[in-house]
Amino acid sequence: MNSVLFLRLAGPLQSWGASARFARRTTETAPTKSGVIGLLAAALGRDRTADLTDLAALLFAVRIDQPGTRLRDFQTAHHADTDKAMPVSERFYLADAVFVAALAGDDTLIRTLHTALQAPVYLPYLGRRSCPPQGPLDLGVMDTDDPVQALSAQEWQASDWYREQRRRDRTVTLTILAEDTAHSPVGDMLRDQPISFDPRHRRYALRSMTSTQTEVLNPRYTPAVRNRHAPLPVPRHEPEALLSPMDGP
Amino acid sequence: MHLTRFRINTARQGARHLLASPQRLHAAVMSSFSQTLPSDTDRPRTLWRLDRNAKAEVLLYIVSQERPDLTHLVEQAGWPTTASWQTYEYGAFLSGLRAGDTWAFRLTANPVHQIRRKDGEPTKRTAHVTPRHQMGWLLGRQEAAGFRILATPPERRRLPQGDEHQLAVRDEHRLNFEKAGPPGGPRNRVPLVTVTFDGRLEITDPDALRRTLTQGLGKAKAYGCGLMTLAKAG
Repeated sequence: MNSVLFLRLAGPLQSWGASARFARRTTETAPTKSGVIGLLAAALGRDRTADLTDLAALLFAVRIDQPGTRLRDFQTAHHADTDKAMPVSERFYLADAVFVAALAGDDTLIRTLHTALQAPVYLPYLGRRSCPPQGPLDLGVMDTDDPVQALSAQEWQASDWYREQRRRDRTVTLTILAEDTAHSPVGDMLRDQPISFDPRHRRYALRSMTSTQTEVLNPRYTPAVRNRHAPLPVPRHEPEALLSPMDGP
Repeated sequence: MHLTRFRINTARQGARHLLASPQRLHAAVMSSFSQTLPSDTDRPRTLWRLDRNAKAEVLLYIVSQERPDLTHLVEQAGWPTTASWQTYEYGAFLSGLRAGDTWAFRLTANPVHQIRRKDGEPTKRTAHVTPRHQMGWLLGRQEAAGFRILATPPERRRLPQGDEHQLAVRDEHRLNFEKAGPPGGPRNRVPLVTVTFDGRLEITDPDALRRTLTQGLGKAKAYGCGLMTLAKAG
């Protein structure tokens, strides 16, 4: 028996790194599996060095409901105690983005995670400790084993001002980035399969993902009304069409 | 009879000068007839109309007894090297009109009536200002003018009332300009409401319709009103 857990990942800032090294800390355009698994492990109260195999085995997919904008921060932090300068770093964030993440797996594990999200042991954050989530994360559990299909059924989670901007569209097309299963074709590779979050030696394996599109209804859809003051279209009228022209002037 | 079509180059300053004033345009039209002197009063009426189909497609139609020479208009408000005007022979078309034929028509007119506000007051010419009354004005004149505006089939009507006829009113202009009176006298204000009718008609009296097409319908013929043209009903 399988089920899917949904998370709404929205906040002023998010940052989901999958390939960042040294002083340039980049972000992917959508939440990473390792980031979301880390959030759930924190909610369960697991230690950094604890075993992750059960969580890493969950099937992960994410839908981009509101892509947000990329924000670059040039960080010149100093150590709080010694006041020594930390390495100057360049950090990237996603501002004003909204995502829906889906994790599919064994029903009991999903229910445990769902309960843990109601009262998390360690506070959840969106990829980086400085990025708290806005509003509740939990969107409930659904009894199915296909996270992509389940994501297509979820309603649009974008913020109200963003929906208002798209009010002329009856439906909006959203991208779903889904982790590939063993029997699906191999998509883009990303070093994002968490093996260990041990702070002394974090390890990630490669995983492949495929991008698909889905259409969801826009609840703020308002069709354009014709401007009553706009002039009516002028009908064609060519009285000379049937007349014979005289020789030129 | 002649029907002349001239396209106005709206980007030119001279064109804007003419389009801004029906008086100036009338003077320009009237000065294109070499035989007519300004003092001639018993000559057949010259009719003209502006069709503002789009911002850059403004056409001047002239119906006249004589063949006009619009060289001065081309120089001021046309394309002097690539385009000029085109004059068509109108008489053969007019004599071919038969009762019972169906045509699409366009008419720019000045729909007015004479009213008095209280008994004993002299009547005053007053414009119809709502589309319903403007349509009513044309419907009241159709019989004498030699045509009948076709009725909309009941299944194609979209309104409970007001669209019983295949007739549309659009492009209303409310003008108010000053006109020189007699020398030394006061200057007169000319308030003018012009509308364009588009629709379909059936000929009932070809002779009366010929008169309508060449003599004009309604008032303010000097200001581009009264010229009706027929085109193939689509």
